[in-house]
Order: sequence, then structure tokens, then C-alpha cells
Amino acid sequence: MSNIKEIKNELLKDCYYEIDHSSGFKIFVYPKENYSSTYAVFGTKYGSIDTCFKKEGENDFTEVPEGIAHFLEHKLFESEELDAFARYAKTGASANAYTSFDKTCYLFQCSGNFEESLEILLDFVSNPYFTEQTVQKEQGIIGQEIRMYEDEPGWESLFVLLRAMYHNHPVRIDIAGTVESISHITAELLYECYDTFYNPANMALAVAGNVTVEQVLSIADKMLKPKESKKVERKFQLEPENVVKTYDERHLSVAMPIFAIGFKENVKTPERTLKESMVSNILLDILAGSTSSLYEEMLKDNLINTTFDTEYFEGYGYSAHIFNGESAEPEKVRERINEEITKVMKNGVDNETFQRIKKKHYGSLIMDFDSIDSIGNSLISAYFNNEGIYDQLKLLESITVEDVNDRLRTAFNIEKSSMSVIK
Amino acid sequence: MNKHYTDLANGVKMLCINSEKFKTNCVKVDFYMPINEYFPALNVLASFMGHTSKKYNTVKKFNSKVEGMYDAYFDVSISTIGEKVLIRFTMEVLDDKFTLDGNKISEEAIDFLVQVISNPNCTDEGFDEEFTTREIRFTLENIEALKNDKRAYSVARLRQLMCKDEPYGIDHEKLEKEVKKLDSKALLSAYNFMISQATVVITACGSISANMLTEKFKNFVQSIENREPAKLETIFITKADEIRYFTEEMEVNQAKLVMGLRAGMQNNNDNYYAFRVMTDIFGGGPYSRLFTNVREKMSLCYYCGARLVREKGIILVQSGIEEENYEKAVNEIFNQLDIMKNGEFTDDEFNSSVIALSDAFKGVEDSPSALCNFYTAQVFDEELVSGSEFAERISQVTREQVTECAQKVSVDTVYLLKGEGAK
Repeated sequence: MSNIKEIKNELLKDCYYEIDHSSGFKIFVYPKENYSSTYAVFGTKYGSIDTCFKKEGENDFTEVPEGIAHFLEHKLFESEELDAFARYAKTGASANAYTSFDKTCYLFQCSGNFEESLEILLDFVSNPYFTEQTVQKEQGIIGQEIRMYEDEPGWESLFVLLRAMYHNHPVRIDIAGTVESISHITAELLYECYDTFYNPANMALAVAGNVTVEQVLSIADKMLKPKESKKVERKFQLEPENVVKTYDERHLSVAMPIFAIGFKENVKTPERTLKESMVSNILLDILAGSTSSLYEEMLKDNLINTTFDTEYFEGYGYSAHIFNGESAEPEKVRERINEEITKVMKNGVDNETFQRIKKKHYGSLIMDFDSIDSIGNSLISAYFNNEGIYDQLKLLESITVEDVNDRLRTAFNIEKSSMSVIK
Repeated sequence: MNKHYTDLANGVKMLCINSEKFKTNCVKVDFYMPINEYFPALNVLASFMGHTSKKYNTVKKFNSKVEGMYDAYFDVSISTIGEKVLIRFTMEVLDDKFTLDGNKISEEAIDFLVQVISNPNCTDEGFDEEFTTREIRFTLENIEALKNDKRAYSVARLRQLMCKDEPYGIDHEKLEKEVKKLDSKALLSAYNFMISQATVVITACGSISANMLTEKFKNFVQSIENREPAKLETIFITKADEIRYFTEEMEVNQAKLVMGLRAGMQNNNDNYYAFRVMTDIFGGGPYSRLFTNVREKMSLCYYCGARLVREKGIILVQSGIEEENYEKAVNEIFNQLDIMKNGEFTDDEFNSSVIALSDAFKGVEDSPSALCNFYTAQVFDEELVSGSEFAERISQVTREQVTECAQKVSVDTVYLLKGEGAK
């Protein structure tokens, strides 16, 4: 029997169901009244950074080629008979998948034939089929995907930055790997990764929209067979506190230099708390968001344009605050950002600004609950981080201006920052 | 119940879609104009009006106002829809029932929107000088930045080469030159042109009442003297004389192939649903001829797809390939087009396309913004069709109609962007 728990939120007037399914898988169902479509996502906590691991009980760590999680994502769509896309073509669902640094997710959205589409999703993700021949064919396709990203300066600038900041952490590797690294992928290796990461201990299913618990369970009961949960141990080499280099550049034909500046946080434990992430995002808005003095002054002084943006970038074993944009003089932008950080560290964050930014974050948290794909993806991410989807709303209230000042002092060190420029 | 736009003034239409299921309210105010001598100034005007107004005359004041409304999303964009220029003001704001202080922010957001549109940062002499200089810089940087995105750049070049004698074929170099010549007076003239000669379409979705919306906009639109909407026409060329080939060089890692096809439509309603299905079987979803053959069977690329530009009656085919595979890819795309013309696509492909398109359109009512876009796109049609009705019409398309449409298609232009110094 599956255990079902209802989780309500009074403010949103929404609720969802968390189910411990008899197969061992975790399932979330988030019904949205009067919606006509449904979004389903089946994910595993396995991404591009998981290149060295061992299963519980094994003695040795296995090292696999870079880009294999993403390769596996592509190949899972195939089966001995009809591939998953051909099967979805009969239900009308729009299907896709994505691989990030720390997870792989398979998804579809539909307005009709929901049960049939869910059956396809659970079936193909549960039944791998790889042969040397199909692996070879995919090397050509993914090779072109990698080449496509080589022409995208924003993507390149992020990876030049990550390689400048990180000595050893696999976050420095492109999610899809390289044309060279994927040439070492074999069917056997794909089966090994599948076996390690695609089991209940490491996976969850989330469904949001025009759906009921009964609908989801009717298919899950049929398709999800009890499977042994496997504990995985991941191995990461020790990452030094300092950066590899403070500056690096790459040439691509761009109209104006594209830059990314990252402040590497010295992480004592591999994972950041939800509160730390939220405070970081508030802090970045205060320092350099569209209402900050820094932003207005840099616009006035022709140093940036409206593409300027910030990002808090974190995952298992890495954490960085990133500023990016286009500028004819990236070095000057870097100086201004450093000056502003030093100034705010000394004077502290102004409370009025803090309150306004906090209100902004409150608004955007609520608005996210209009979108079923956003809900589905958040349910998976929150679960993999041992959190609930409503936790942020509760936590936001408790964040104080002191939290922001503390975070600035602990997470920012100008000495441990890098800049990448694509020009 | 059928929806319809109501007239607020000469050439000003309004549609308010009431829905209680969202946490967000959305209002879009669209200004449709012909592509003419004002086009360069309209590009700057859109950027200008998204960053300042008379009341909020600095970036900080302007953005703080938007941010203070619980992170409302405010944006002004410019695009071309066929041979119409569209300047779109978008406001998305948290529904009143979620504000912490009981504030009526929907009304506040609409007041802001009306104020930005009706009261720009200018005097009788011209637009604010400092902002004009800055916004010209942003616009120039934005035009130049097209080169950063090699895929978008290739499409823009194809469009220019293919439609060089039609307003649709925008010449970006010429546009850049024209923008450089602009001044604050030119922006004022462009603004006056926009408010007195554009067809204005106001679309709202959420809990906003039609009465309130009418009240807020009525005074402004009725106060504009001598409003006379300019005629909006698009040239439809139904057949290409012969295929023209262009190859250009740039520093790219992967060659970008773009083809421009004349669909054979006489106007944007000519057999639209059948053309839509035809294009989708040819190069839409993963069940399409281009995906299954050029990508999956031949392993030539990561992406190869076709889309119908309804408002101009053209079809664009796009792919990223190794340059040495150029002929192979072009021949295969031609071959697939011939298969469409001969009616040799399978029943499965036909059915997959019909069911996927119908399914996608049934889901359009689940996002306030998508819903606004869906209806405003139909404002020049004789009737407004709902998502479900749209799906119904797609499902009535027959195989024979699809073949007939394919037979009307002619290849006009083939464009390749390849690496410098490549063979």
C-alpha cells in the first residue's frame, strides 16, 4: 500500500500530495483546479558532476567519461521496439528531457490522454535498451549539440569562468562533455550508470495540473515495480579554496565583449541550506539588481547595458555569486563591483532596500505557482535537496537584514574571484 | 461563449478575459503599425519607454516602482508580425488577494502602465536628452548583438536576402545607420506616430474587471486628437521563381543552414490549418520527416526543423551542421519536401501531427500571458477562436489538404553561414 500525505498552504490556497509508493518511489501530485493541461516529470539525482562513484557494498570507485549522464538521457528514449517519441506521437503529448549539473529529468505536457502518456514515461525510463550501434549513432547527434553550444558566447563565458574558478570539481566540465570524452562511452558503461542512479533511492515523480492522485496511482501501480534502492557514494577530489586563475578569455566572434565575474565561496560542507540560497539571491539583488545604485551608475557611465544580470550558482560542493553581461570595458565593471562589495561590507545593507527586495521575492515565489512546469520541476528539486516546495515562503518571512550582511561577509572574498571574457 | 474585442475608440480594441484560477493578472497593450520610415526610431522608443517615464524619470525610480509592486513584470518589446511592427507593453502582477498589506496592486499596476504609455519622459521639444543618448546606445548594441547568436543572425540574414524587395526583409546594417542619426525630436515624432496611427489592442487576463480597465484607458485614448489608424498590409508572394543560394563566412564552429520557402498562402487565413499541419509533419515535432530522417537516421545534426510564419506566408527551415555535410543535408531536406508534395508521408505521421497540435492548443488557457498572446494574435481575423476550437479545426484537416498545401510550397532561398576560411 502507498502512504499518502496531504500538504496544504493556507496563503496560496493550494495543496499537494506526497506519496510513498509501494514500489519505493516518491511521488508528488499537485492538482490545479480548472487547468486543462498536465505536466509530469520523472527525475533522478544524477547529473554531469557525477563522474566518480561507487555503489554501496562495492570496494572501488568507478570513473566514467565526462558527459555520460546527458548521453544516457538521449539514449533512454530508445527501446527495442518503438522509441519513446514515436509512442508519445500517438498520445499527442509534448515530451522532452534535460540534464543539468546535478539531475536528469524526463518530462511531458499534455491536455489529453494523460494516463497513456504517463505510462510511456514510466515505462521507457524504467527499461533501458542500449546497443553499440545506437550508441555510435548518438555520438554524431550529441557531437553536433556540443558544437552548437561552442557558438553560444553566454554558455562559453560561463564555462570559461567555471574552469577559472574550480581546480578539480567536475562542475568545470560542460554538461554534454566533449566530442572526445563521449567517444569513450559504451553501452556497457551506460548500463552501469543506469543501474547505479536509476532506482527509488535516487528518483522521484512529480505531476502538476489537471490531475488527481487516483489517476497517477492507477498508472504508477501498474508500471512501477518494486526495485532495490541503492545507496551511492560520490567521490569529489578536494577543491582548494583559491581560484585557478583570476582572469581568462576566449575568442569568439562577438559584437562586444561578454563577461562573467564569479566569487567563489569557500564551502566547508558540500551543500548550502535553503536559507543561504535565498539570502544569496536577495543579496545579489541588493548589490547589483535593476534597482541598485551600482546598476544605475554603470548604465550612466556606459559600462554595461540592460543585459547585465546576476546569478547565485550552487550545487553539491560548489557555490559562487556570478555577475554577467556585455561591456566594452569588463575590467572596469569588475573594479566597480569590487568597490561596491567592499563598501557594502563596511556600511551594511540598508533596511529599506532590504524590505523592498524581500517583498519582490515574496511576489515572485507566489507567481511561480501559476505555472505547472515550474511546480513540477520545483517539486523534484526541492525533494532532491531534502526540502518542501512551500519551505521558501515560510523561510522568507524569517530572513533579516543581519542575515544578508552576514552572508556578504562569509561568501564574498574578492581575492577568490575570477573573470572570464569572450571577445 | 465566443469572445470578442470591443471598440474603445477609433482603432482601439479591448478584450478582458476573466479567470479566477490564476495568482497573477496580465495586461498587454499592443500598438500595431506598418513598417515605414519610423521603424528605426520605434526601435529606440520601445527601449526608452521600458526604462523611464515622466513621473519615474530615473532608472532607479522606475525599476523601484515596478519591483515594489511585488516584483511585477513590466516589459516593452518591439517585433515584426508579418509586415506590421508591434510595440507591446506587458504588465504581469500578483493578484490582489496575495498582497501582505491588502493593497490593490492590480489597479496600481494598470495606473502605472497607463502613465508610462501616456506620459513619456519628454517635453514639447523632444524626449529626454540623456535617456535618448543612452537608449540609442542600447539599441545599437542590441542590433550588433545579433551577431552573437549565430542561429538568429542566420535567420535574419536569410530574411533580408529572401525578402529584399519586401518590407519584411529588414536590413540590419541600414537600420544601424538610421538609428545613429536619430535624436530626441525623432523619438517624439515616432511616439506621436505611434499613439495617433497605431491600431491599439488591449488584452487582459485574470481577475481584473473590464469596467476598471475601460475606465483607466478610455480617457487617454479618447484624448488623442485626430486618431486615424494607418493601413496594415503584408505582401504575400505565393511562388518563388527559382532557388537562390547564398553562402557567407563568419567565425563559427558549426555551420548554420537556413532555408526560406514560400508557402503559397494568399493571406494569413488561406488554408491556415492545413498549412500548419503540413509544416508540422515536414519539420515540427520529433515525429516529423526532418527530425526522423536528417537527425535520427542520418545523424547529421542536433536540430533540424521547419516553422510556418503565418503572417508572411513563408516557411523557415533551420539546422546546424558540419560544413562538409551541406550538400547532403540540403538534398535530404529537398527530398523530404518532395515526399510531402507526393503525399508519401505516413498515416502515423499525419495522425501524430494532428493530435500533437490539437493537444498543445487545448492547453493554451493555462497561462495568463499565453492566453493574452493567443487572442491578441487573432485581432485582425474575422472571429476569435478559442484554444479548443482551434484544436477542433486542426483535427478536421485531411491528408489530401496537406498534400495540396505541400504542392504549393516552393523553395526560395538557401543560406549557409560557414566558418571563415572553410572550404
